[in-house]
Amino acid sequence: MSALCDPPGAAPSGPPQNPAHGAHPPLSSQELAQEIKAFLSGVDPVHGNKLTIKEHARCAILLLRSLPPARSAVLDHLRNVFDEYVCTYLLELESSEGGLGARRAQGPNLDDVVQEIQNVLSEFVRMNPKAWAPVVSAWSIDLMGQLSSKYAGRHGVPHASSLNELLQLWMSCKATRTLMDIYTQCLSSMISTCPDACVDALLDTSVQHSPHFDWVVAHIGSSFPNTIISRVLSCGLKDFCVHGAAPVDLLFPTAADKRVPKIASVVGILGHLASRHSDSIKQELLRMFHESLGPVRDQQQKATVPFLLQLAVMSPMLLGTISSELVDSLKPSVLSQLHQHFAALPREDLENMVSIVVHLICQTSAGAYRILQFLVNTAMPASVITTPGLAVHDSVREACDRIIQLLLLNLQKLVYNRGSASLGDAPPRAVPFLDELKGHVRELCVETLRLERKRFLWQHQLLGLLSVYCTPSCTTDALFYLLTLSRSQEELGLATQLYAVLSSCMSDLLPATVKKCVCQIHMGGLSEQHMVQLFHNLALIVQWEGEGPASMSAQLGAVLSLHLYDLGQLLLHRNPEVAEAASLLLSVCPLPRTIRPAHLLVIIRSAVHQFFLVLHRQCPTGISYSTRLLSRLSGASPAAMKAILQQLVEGALHPGNAELFGGLAELSAGDDASLEGTRISLLDINRRFTTAVNFSGSVWSVFHAGVIGRGLKPPQPARRQEPEEIVHNVQNFLSLLLRCCRGGRYGAPEPPAHTVAVNPEAAKAVAVVLVESICPDVTNSELGWPPEEHTRSTVERDIQICRRFRDNPLLFQLLRLVAAGPPALCYCSVLLRGLLATLMAHWEASRHGDTTSSPWHLHASCALVACMAEGSLLPPVLGNMHEIFHQLAPFEVHLLLLSVWDYMRDNSPLPQKFTFQADKGLFFRDFSRDCDVGKYLCVLHSVLHKNIDRLGLLSGRFQT
Amino acid sequence: MAAHHPPFWPGRAAVSPARVAPPRAAEGPAASPRLSPAPPRRPPGYARLSGPGRRSTMSDIRHSLLRRDALSAAKEVLYHLDIYFSSQLQNAPLPIVDKGPIELLEEFIFQVPKERNSQPKRLNSLQELQLLEIMCSYFQEQTKDSVRQIIFSALFSPQGNKADDGRMVLLGKLVSMAVAVCRVPVLECAASWLQRTPAIYSVRLARALVDDYCCLVPGSIQTLKQIFSASPRFCCQFITSVTALYDLSSDDLIPPSDLLEMVVSWIFEDPRLILITFLNTPIAANLPIGFLELTPLTGLIRWCVKAPLAYKRKKKASLSNGHLTNKIAKDSATGADKDCHLLYSKLHLSVLQVLMMLQGHLTEKNLYGRLGLVPFDHVVPLVEEINRLSDELNPLNASKEIELALDRLAQALQVAMASGALLCTRDDLRTVCARLPHNNLLQLVISGPVQQATHAALPPGFYPHIHTPPLGYPAHAAHPALPAHPAHPALPAHPVQTFIPGMTFPYRPIR
Repeated sequence: MSALCDPPGAAPSGPPQNPAHGAHPPLSSQELAQEIKAFLSGVDPVHGNKLTIKEHARCAILLLRSLPPARSAVLDHLRNVFDEYVCTYLLELESSEGGLGARRAQGPNLDDVVQEIQNVLSEFVRMNPKAWAPVVSAWSIDLMGQLSSKYAGRHGVPHASSLNELLQLWMSCKATRTLMDIYTQCLSSMISTCPDACVDALLDTSVQHSPHFDWVVAHIGSSFPNTIISRVLSCGLKDFCVHGAAPVDLLFPTAADKRVPKIASVVGILGHLASRHSDSIKQELLRMFHESLGPVRDQQQKATVPFLLQLAVMSPMLLGTISSELVDSLKPSVLSQLHQHFAALPREDLENMVSIVVHLICQTSAGAYRILQFLVNTAMPASVITTPGLAVHDSVREACDRIIQLLLLNLQKLVYNRGSASLGDAPPRAVPFLDELKGHVRELCVETLRLERKRFLWQHQLLGLLSVYCTPSCTTDALFYLLTLSRSQEELGLATQLYAVLSSCMSDLLPATVKKCVCQIHMGGLSEQHMVQLFHNLALIVQWEGEGPASMSAQLGAVLSLHLYDLGQLLLHRNPEVAEAASLLLSVCPLPRTIRPAHLLVIIRSAVHQFFLVLHRQCPTGISYSTRLLSRLSGASPAAMKAILQQLVEGALHPGNAELFGGLAELSAGDDASLEGTRISLLDINRRFTTAVNFSGSVWSVFHAGVIGRGLKPPQPARRQEPEEIVHNVQNFLSLLLRCCRGGRYGAPEPPAHTVAVNPEAAKAVAVVLVESICPDVTNSELGWPPEEHTRSTVERDIQICRRFRDNPLLFQLLRLVAAGPPALCYCSVLLRGLLATLMAHWEASRHGDTTSSPWHLHASCALVACMAEGSLLPPVLGNMHEIFHQLAPFEVHLLLLSVWDYMRDNSPLPQKFTFQADKGLFFRDFSRDCDVGKYLCVLHSVLHKNIDRLGLLSGRFQT
Repeated sequence: MAAHHPPFWPGRAAVSPARVAPPRAAEGPAASPRLSPAPPRRPPGYARLSGPGRRSTMSDIRHSLLRRDALSAAKEVLYHLDIYFSSQLQNAPLPIVDKGPIELLEEFIFQVPKERNSQPKRLNSLQELQLLEIMCSYFQEQTKDSVRQIIFSALFSPQGNKADDGRMVLLGKLVSMAVAVCRVPVLECAASWLQRTPAIYSVRLARALVDDYCCLVPGSIQTLKQIFSASPRFCCQFITSVTALYDLSSDDLIPPSDLLEMVVSWIFEDPRLILITFLNTPIAANLPIGFLELTPLTGLIRWCVKAPLAYKRKKKASLSNGHLTNKIAKDSATGADKDCHLLYSKLHLSVLQVLMMLQGHLTEKNLYGRLGLVPFDHVVPLVEEINRLSDELNPLNASKEIELALDRLAQALQVAMASGALLCTRDDLRTVCARLPHNNLLQLVISGPVQQATHAALPPGFYPHIHTPPLGYPAHAAHPALPAHPAHPALPAHPVQTFIPGMTFPYRPIR
């Protein structure tokens, strides 16, 4: 009884030792008390000397093993050991760097003590991770933080920014490496259950020792990427919840704002991990987002979205990681969940959040276009086409609408408030969103041109902002695409509107745009259809009327005319539609005041060629464009007019084009079959190489000859065109020619048909071309007529001339045209002579009873005489006699033509015989100054007399 | 006096020699303070007792301490209060611990700032350890038990203010340290503290010790185990508080196996350990509510009875959680569980033995039938919990465990009733146990009349009022239960003395 009840106050005589305790036999209580004293005082209680750091540490370890309440004191004491170790280590490093050699004797070697500490702690953690891991991990991480901060400024320690060197330094130091190992052990032992405690310590320390501590974070993060990522985020979220979800100034947190301290280190840590584990981070962020939308709603879930937004605000890297993926996951169901989620929030918070979202969108670069598409699609009003299940909630749509409008507003502010680059003080602030959209100008334009309600307005506005943001490249791009892709007036209106917006704030916009178009065309960056569309659109704009002088249509013409040469080259594009469109554009755009003749000639040649091509294709619009173009070109300068006339006539007479006008088709030189594959016109090719070199005229003659030695030509296949077409073609050609002759006064009221007024110069040009092309032989080709007998020497030439006239009925028409512009017909003297000689010979040799038996000769004779009369080469009575040819015998016609010849011989057709009448603007011939015409009429009167029964009626007409 | 001060206050005299008024050694009748189990409450006449002179003493002390650093101030305040209470003990046999000293202690030991805007002086962990060491030494070297008790009480009695947390933490460390370095006076003080402090605080001390010695430092349980020989009274109170803490109501509240092993080994070594507090405490008529019980009997019965079911539930939970998927962990867990079952059996035996020896002590103290050491009020929730647990576990899977639990319950009830530790009528018991699953033994216990064993200590013809035999049965009938239950001839026969036949009792009732 007494043994139990009396308080055993006397010192107990050492409790029995229990040997079951492994390698460390428990101390007796007295020994333990001694150890405590030694630990506290740092003095050996037995010998009275001071403990070395090693002994002191061992004493501490002993207490850790046997005195539970002393653990925090012991852990605090052990900090000194690590500190000492690091200090020594750095000193050694410095001295070895300084070339003093390794002086190992600076301090005691603490390796073994550090090792012992690690053994003890890791044993404890292994035995009971739940109790020890939080304590030990917090201790080790805090100690690492302290050490890194304390020695950050030391000479041997690299700067905090060079993470790898820092990591290398600290990991090669045993003390810090051991601490890292200890922490790693704690974390891995808790990883399956609840590592939050360990990670929380990491975050706290990271806040405290931020830049110097980064190496720890980097190391741990790369060892346990997934755990660290998810735990760091969840700890950050918890902290965020505690500190209030929405700080006042989320957008621009000041450095002094300590309200959300941990989020900064969350951002820092994730920033370290992003380089290697951005996928995991992305997954984790998305997972958080989706989990937060779940039905069970606690405070933490509610704060998730604001938290993620805040993270994104603070770290562009995270924003870039998540933004594109996030958009993909925002399905209608998710959106309506989000809507429900935020429906209950107060208005201010919502405003705040929306402004953050808008800010973030502005900062997004990758995937910006997708985000834009998503917003626009979501904000579009539901249409009947939308699948009912996929339609978004109305309020979601409104929210998106609002976000877009705010976004546009914000972008506008950013764009127009950017510092001017010309000042040169600071580069203008970048807007990543717009930077990214730069590459999507084309898509934006395509979208805009769809003209879907509402969205095209947004997109159009965005295009404007984008253009202002990165002028001039985007500006010209946008205008170029709009111009190219528009398909209607309404769509084209977008381009002009955009121009109207932009022209106020930038100069030289239109020239740059047109230049861009031209460059694109010549680079081959445009498909042919687009080229056609572009030309049509440009032409359309040029033709718009009723707009102010600053409008696009008013200025476009002038700008386009600067690129006349570039556009002119397209007249010969292998795609006829392109060529046609080019001719349309050229036909509407005004000619510049001055144009280099070489350029002009190239354009002219191209235009003429194109004209014949469209005639071949029987394309009415093309013909009209070409006609208009050529007649306009002819007004550019007299030289241009001459060149046009010359080329037109030459072209018309070219064998390839002859059949257009009822002439004989080109005789294929040789076997058709063998040449079928090579029916490439060298001429065509040659023309396409049009450069500044002028092959004026001669080109047509070079390939004229044909192949000798092929024997008989095969009979010409009767590929005659329809007479209506021929008439039509001739009509077109002649009217064009006439217009050109009038000097391009296109659109001027047509003069009355009977007073065909042809510019004498033009007529002369035509005449010269005719002579050149029909009569290559220039011997005996003076204007004056020789006696009739001399024709024998030129029989061959005359026959050739006649054949040309027979083969190509157009020649008579041309002759008439020449005749309409006196005195030009004089220059055709050689042709007239040859023709007349041949006809005379024919009629002389004819043994038929009447002239109608050789119809062509009859027609030719009539036409010739009429033409000469018209050209004032024959006096009126003599010029009327062709009216009776069809009622005469061939010989009588021969006689009559002979009298014409005689008259011509006596009255040479010289231009100086004509006098200019300024009031009419024409040359006129006064026949009264010539010799009496009477003697040439004798034959005529005789013939009349002989056939008085039939021709008596007409005798009055042939009296002078 | 001079004998114990110099080593404890080194250099103290040099600091303020004028102040050193060695307290006269308090001798005489006041040496053992009679502290009631209730927490110290200030009497209404407190203002009168703390006169102006006393107050000025306290403020003087405070002013002298304010200039010091945290650690030396903490040392000084202990010194001053030692002097103060020693002198008080000379004047009054039962000194009042009033507000002044407690405020001083709160300010200078627990670092609760008195002025609102003053920066609190904090002890770092090293200084705290020094303070603990100093306190241990102080209690060790203060020879007078009454002074020790009153200082301890002033330091650690909960005051219901914000200093209580710090108080409890420091107390835990102090006792933990005392365990490690075997400071018996501290342990004795702690035992008294446990007894007269509300159970919510006692349990916190128990948890601190269990954390330190059973969870954190591997192998240190041996140190705690050795306390048995140094301070049985502390051990007894420790067991009581531990059983109050670990009531097996959830998986977290299953006692750690180290702790269980230690408790069982203590009790098995000397079952009387359980009764130490009971035997050494003057018994008040009514046990106060909210404090620890006099003995850990109820808690131990709860352990033994609920253990099979609680372990089964834990195993089921861990299996369904899939934590123990790998085979090794499962094997080791089942092995540990098997050890635990053995321990609980052992414990159950010891509890029954103690209950049986209890009758003598009760009689001796003239408390037989008047003091229910196993209160019926605690049996009721126990039975309900068993009912709930057995419902919760699938009876098909856990039939063995349920059977074991009910057997143990029946045995404990029977023995407790028979020894006079449980005071209730059989009808009460029947009502309480009505909803339990069927168990033969329990059926016997609650239905059969009990032959009251004749006891030497009882005068013939005295029956506890609860055990009034039914009418028609002779009071001294030898085996009344047997003819009533012919179907169960193999069951242990009544009376209880033959319950464990052949068991000899080496213990004499403590006198």
